Amino acid sequence: MNTSVSRIACFVEKYNFSDPREEGALQNFKRAAEKQGNEFHFLFREDISDVRKFDAVFIRATTDPLNTAYVVSKTAWELGLKVIDDPESITICGNKIHQYALFEKYNVPRIPTVFLNKDDLHHKKINDIFEEFGKPVVIKAPYTSFSKYVEKAACETNFRDVCKRFFKKSDVLAIQKFTPTEFDWRVGVLNNDVLYVCKYMIPKGRWKHGAKLRGKPTIVWGRTVALKKETIPQRLREAALKACSVVGKGLYGVDIKEVDGEYVVVEVNDNPSIYAGYEDRKDKDLYGKIINYLTE
Amino acid sequence: MLVVSNIDLTTDSRVMNPATFLDSTVKEPILNVNNEYRYLKTGYYVSLHAEVLGNRVIPSCENIIDSSRIPILLLRAERAGIPTLPSLVTDSVKKIVSELGFPVVIFAVNPFIYDGYKTANNKSALYRAMKSLGMNYKFAVCAQPLQGEIFSIKTFFGKCQTNDLQTQNICKKVYEHFKIPMCKLHIQRTREKAYLCGLQPVGKDELSGQDLQMISKEVSLLSEQGEHFGV
Repeated sequence: MNTSVSRIACFVEKYNFSDPREEGALQNFKRAAEKQGNEFHFLFREDISDVRKFDAVFIRATTDPLNTAYVVSKTAWELGLKVIDDPESITICGNKIHQYALFEKYNVPRIPTVFLNKDDLHHKKINDIFEEFGKPVVIKAPYTSFSKYVEKAACETNFRDVCKRFFKKSDVLAIQKFTPTEFDWRVGVLNNDVLYVCKYMIPKGRWKHGAKLRGKPTIVWGRTVALKKETIPQRLREAALKACSVVGKGLYGVDIKEVDGEYVVVEVNDNPSIYAGYEDRKDKDLYGKIINYLTE
Repeated sequence: MLVVSNIDLTTDSRVMNPATFLDSTVKEPILNVNNEYRYLKTGYYVSLHAEVLGNRVIPSCENIIDSSRIPILLLRAERAGIPTLPSLVTDSVKKIVSELGFPVVIFAVNPFIYDGYKTANNKSALYRAMKSLGMNYKFAVCAQPLQGEIFSIKTFFGKCQTNDLQTQNICKKVYEHFKIPMCKLHIQRTREKAYLCGLQPVGKDELSGQDLQMISKEVSLLSEQGEHFGV
């Protein structure tokens, strides 16, 4: 048990409160913190400069090295505060090129991936890629999140179109073998330990967890099925922890596909979604565990 | 040491272009000379590739990201003893008025705007600055009091062309701390003192013949030092 009171700032944006399930989770964090005798304050954009008044920072607003959340994270880290998500995790998870390069270096089981530089977008290269991975392939912008900026292409014209759009923001893209599955495993990890496990079901007839309906701007999400973490296959657990070990010791959501009995990592996300009644369904203690990590 | 550059340098050092380097698995210290180190742009990917290969590299990815986020630049500069003014990160006009007053200088803190700043002498000018640099109040901005004159200066390996010793000192120290080989600094000068306000990339079209000579000379010098190449 902690004996001293910690002042925790939870950095949020207004959109974090627009979904009642997410708001519910945020209130659960607040309750868990206060139950342990800590103070828990929501910190909005207006008061970012107040970060220095706290002992720990928990970021729930979307993170990216170009977002305000990185400024909050790095400021907290420079000032010696405990912080989730820490700046290094944001940097590695915010750029999937960085992450896949580390997976390659440290031999993390992963979806077959190649990188494509802006200068390499030509007929021969595209042909080589189709030859290696078959058709279609998945094109991923490094800053992808919530299934956005991930598209598939089955012909050269389409491939070029997608790449040109994604190259506007990044000079390197990731190309992956198309690996359709019924669901993605989502393993929540905190400090090298499994925190919760879910299946993110892929909506029928789609190929990613969040998919657009044809011709409509709204995104449909697949169901979330929570599982008891004690019952998951050992090799799934190992793949998740191995992938996180190259990123850091914070809080992550690892996406893993099961292909022919093998577990391959799709990506490690910092700042994973936690919705009341979804990710926490079988692990109500995840709130307390995260608060503990912030205050220990 | 290998130089990776997108600029035509006149040097005897070995120079590789960024695209070739990104496809290579070169194992040696890398000096990454690029006019633009923006996040997700080629200059940044060169440093990232070098780091993943386990090479020492100037500049590091951490410094690339931090130096381009004004609040982090100022925080780390202040801690390194580089003169800065107290700044505020917020999206609230009210807060800036009550805590800093006028005049103020405003920098963007969002994923889209990476250059320039706006100054404001009154509330309506501040609203306009926050509207444009905060992209219709969608993002926070970084505000600093404006106590003197603000100007921009190109700096290469910590050197710059000015007779002002304090400005020279800021350029030198920013390079020592962040190791960004080329950039443009925004500096505020009062009668007594110079303060660091911001950093942004140098456009290729802003590089004069004299600048290129200066960069080439520094690159050659660093290459000769070889072993003492510090990161």
